[in-house]
Amino acid sequence: MKEPVLLTGLGTIGAWGPGSDRLAEALARGEAPTAEVDRAAGYHLPEGAARAGLVPPGQFGCWLSSGESRRMSPPSKLALAASRMAMRCAGWSGTGEEGTAVVISTAFGPSTNTEILLKQILNEGPEAASPTLFTESVANAPAAQIAIACQATGPSLTVSQREAGPLIALGRAAGELTTGRSPRALAGAVDEMTPLLHALLDRFGALTREEVARPFDRRRSGFLAGEGATVVTLETATGLKERGGRALARLLAWGNAFDPTAPPTGWGTGVEALARGLRKTLSRAGLRPEDVDLVVSGASGSRGGDRLEARVLRSVWGDSPLPPVTAPKAVTGEYGGGVLGAAVLAAAGSPLGATPGFAEPDPELGIAPHDGSPLPLPATVLVTSLAAGGAAAWAVLGRP
Amino acid sequence: MQRDRGSRVVAVSGVGAVCGLGWGVDAVWKGLRAGRAGIGPFRRFDHARHRTHLAAEAGAPPPELARAIPGWGRLSIADRFALFASREAVERAGLSIPLGEEDAGVYFGSSTGGMFESELFFEEFLRDRGGRLSSLASQQVNGPGDAVARHLGVTGPVETLSSACASGALALGAALEAVRSGEVEVAIAGGSDSLCQLTYAGFNALRSVDEVPCRPFRAGRAGMSFGEGAAVLVLEPLERVLARGAEPLAVLAGAGASCDAHHMTAPDPSGKGAAAALSAALADSGLPAEAIDFVNVHGTGTPLNDAAEWQALRQVFGERAAELPLVATKALVGHLLGCSGSLEAVATILCLRHGELHPAPGAGAGADPELPVSLVVDEPLPLPGVRAAVSTSLAFGGSNAALVFSRWMDRTA
Repeated sequence: MKEPVLLTGLGTIGAWGPGSDRLAEALARGEAPTAEVDRAAGYHLPEGAARAGLVPPGQFGCWLSSGESRRMSPPSKLALAASRMAMRCAGWSGTGEEGTAVVISTAFGPSTNTEILLKQILNEGPEAASPTLFTESVANAPAAQIAIACQATGPSLTVSQREAGPLIALGRAAGELTTGRSPRALAGAVDEMTPLLHALLDRFGALTREEVARPFDRRRSGFLAGEGATVVTLETATGLKERGGRALARLLAWGNAFDPTAPPTGWGTGVEALARGLRKTLSRAGLRPEDVDLVVSGASGSRGGDRLEARVLRSVWGDSPLPPVTAPKAVTGEYGGGVLGAAVLAAAGSPLGATPGFAEPDPELGIAPHDGSPLPLPATVLVTSLAAGGAAAWAVLGRP
Repeated sequence: MQRDRGSRVVAVSGVGAVCGLGWGVDAVWKGLRAGRAGIGPFRRFDHARHRTHLAAEAGAPPPELARAIPGWGRLSIADRFALFASREAVERAGLSIPLGEEDAGVYFGSSTGGMFESELFFEEFLRDRGGRLSSLASQQVNGPGDAVARHLGVTGPVETLSSACASGALALGAALEAVRSGEVEVAIAGGSDSLCQLTYAGFNALRSVDEVPCRPFRAGRAGMSFGEGAAVLVLEPLERVLARGAEPLAVLAGAGASCDAHHMTAPDPSGKGAAAALSAALADSGLPAEAIDFVNVHGTGTPLNDAAEWQALRQVFGERAAELPLVATKALVGHLLGCSGSLEAVATILCLRHGELHPAPGAGAGADPELPVSLVVDEPLPLPGVRAAVSTSLAFGGSNAALVFSRWMDRTA
């Protein structure tokens, strides 16, 4: 028996505001907190999507110093704030993290800084490029800023695997612990949703132009773009026992796979390849599909993505009924790790509301997400995250 | 709980590479051995208004590639590099494409992915909201790794790491773990990046780019030179390689990583973070520092980075640091950013295989009295008894990685 990995702290910031309590409230209400996207730059099509799950202004409060707020890119600020929330939740001091690993995923990196830099280079000439902006335009800036702020001297990794990134980051961080390379780790995801990025996702046809995203619904038309950061602290059972802390959940297994039939920006048909990856993950946790009490699905309202998700789940469960399935991206939006936060909260017993926008089951999918009625505390939670382009990742959480 | 360190010996069964020295490992080794810098004028984009004007640009691809690889015209340049290097590595390993029936995974590093194509799109989009959306398909840094997985028909884990200049080495570390632990039987691991204006202007804004080809560890060095390309290793359990009658090229014996936690762009001058990565890699390999015969240094050519790396070498190798031969691959191929760690891994393996260390150009650059190192310059250094080497990658944001390679025969003797 190898050393168990425990999730001991959760920090999150997003459209729901700062803190896991705020996320828990939003999930329990089953409401997506959205805002109008700034379309003043003219990037959007007139008929394009107008709303997203955006972090409200002035949310960093005590989590960042004025100096940090001034010099960091939006993703670095979000990730550092979420990290500090997670460390406080876990009872860590937040400094002197000798050997601690930091593993952060991002789909798009610091988009604001990249956009400004490109405008400087293209419009004013390359010598106009700001060195300060460039420093904070690299994808690993958030992970580096976390490491600098809490003096985490373990491996610093940035994962970029689109929507599958948050769970891959979680697994990679857990691997740092199980291989003995790091005594503990911070793992999570961050992304910002700029008007340009929002407009381009809409032009790709990825976003819903409705008020809600409707995962698994027959009428679903795309996902709700979101932004934010979610970070968890990971510790070994031995480490936690030594310092006398408490755990939120236990990470029973993680795994990932790829569907090579997927085009770069779309969804493939490789149900069996992904189902094999999911079965392998469950097997590592020592579970049969029927042992899973709750599925926290990465279904987002994407027509192709939700279809593939449903087919993979159906393939693994076969003729057996699926456990309750919840689709928190209808609340959190896509990107920023909200699904990871929702999964940890669900594993810890936080109530889950109905999936906003779901009303008409899609007979092709055969999945009706959880209706918001009270659920017993799950012993095992499967978290899924399929990505456009072919990647997929899963994690299984259990009671501490 | 799942997964521990695992105990399998992990062999490098194939390598592939493209960079400013050419397409293919043979061309790359020929250029490296000759100490011929591929850094010079380049045409990827108009650099007339940039501060510097040199890069190690990959030449035109072999014409047969466009016929052999479906959808070639739609791929980003970084994707093309990645596919070429992956195909070469897989073929040299004696494996067949697609790898669908193999228990395979892809572990890739990239710093900019399809940024060059994104810049072209963005320029058009800003001008008149034009631009082909399809040119953004590989914009994210996971583009090259995903393209490799798609082309090879991989259904196992696919992970892209984007930790700036340590990405390629960190990806190899992740692949090593995956093979060791039994997560996969075949790991396609490496990195790919192409030249683009964003990084070219950005590093110039930081005044980190030399106006002449970079001079790692030499007096008067004034920064890095840019390069581009891809490098890929096929990693498998040693027993598996031997069982099919293939010859392992080397053993990837260990990997280590750390973070300076010091500054976003400047390395910790004490070298403590880099030394921690080196020590971790050695500990992971089970080899003592005395067993290392040469170091393929990160050696960017910036005054601060090389000085910090020297401090790290002193901490790990003690008095031997001054005598240990150092190989500075970037002096020939430039800095390939997210791919640099994997290209330097290929260079390290080739040095081990050939029993000689490739030189850096020495002309016009004297030794730095502050860094009393034994840099291999001008001529290859014969080292027929070479057993093991370490390659370092030290990145933006203080992310450090080190890889230990050994000749496989030594481990089975």
